[in-house]
Amino acid sequence: MKNNIRLYRVKLNLTQDDLSNRLGVSRQTINSIENNKYYPSLELGLKLARIFDCKVDDLFSLD
Amino acid sequence: MNYLFNHKLKRISGWIFYVSLPVGLYFLLTDKFDELLTIRVFSLFSYETIITTEHTENLIGSSGFRWIENGFLDEILTFVIIVSGLINSFCKEEVEDELIAKMRMESLVLSLYINYGLLLLANFLVYELSYFYVMVFHLFAILLFFNLIFKYRLHKHYNS
Repeated sequence: MKNNIRLYRVKLNLTQDDLSNRLGVSRQTINSIENNKYYPSLELGLKLARIFDCKVDDLFSLD
Repeated sequence: MNYLFNHKLKRISGWIFYVSLPVGLYFLLTDKFDELLTIRVFSLFSYETIITTEHTENLIGSSGFRWIENGFLDEILTFVIIVSGLINSFCKEEVEDELIAKMRMESLVLSLYINYGLLLLANFLVYELSYFYVMVFHLFAILLFFNLIFKYRLHKHYNS
């Protein structure tokens, strides 16, 4: 599974720290997700989609 | 509900755990438990028998349902080590998120495998009353393994 979270985050001019504060997770968790070291839960995926105002499908896709 | 302790308890419980553990080990290896803090305690259940092996003859246990004289230091140390170890191992992190929860679960599984792997190994390598030390070791080993593995993974995570 790959994701476009870094792309969307940069588009909104957010740092990893900003995004982590808005999601209530640690900055390291955002880093792990962006580097495909950790696949987030459905809840976190939906929260990310809400912040980026897009569909979950736009953020995550299967290889 | 995640059954975790407050993050504020992490530092103090860690200090208590890692100080009391070597103290307990020292008293266990030097056999000083019975000399210190001898008080009368109520023994709910015990088993009294003489175990004779090729080289030794040991009386173990005492009758239950009565008051007995007992060195209470080992009970206190066991309580302190287990409670401080549990609190330190299962404290919330400053930012408790799902990745931390996943790491905690994986560390617990790994420590369980290591613990029982060692127990199985000891099962075929340690015999007779020496096995008592194996059982005492395994009272605390799983907590210690989990604590160390989880701390190492947290360290790696926070430095990523």
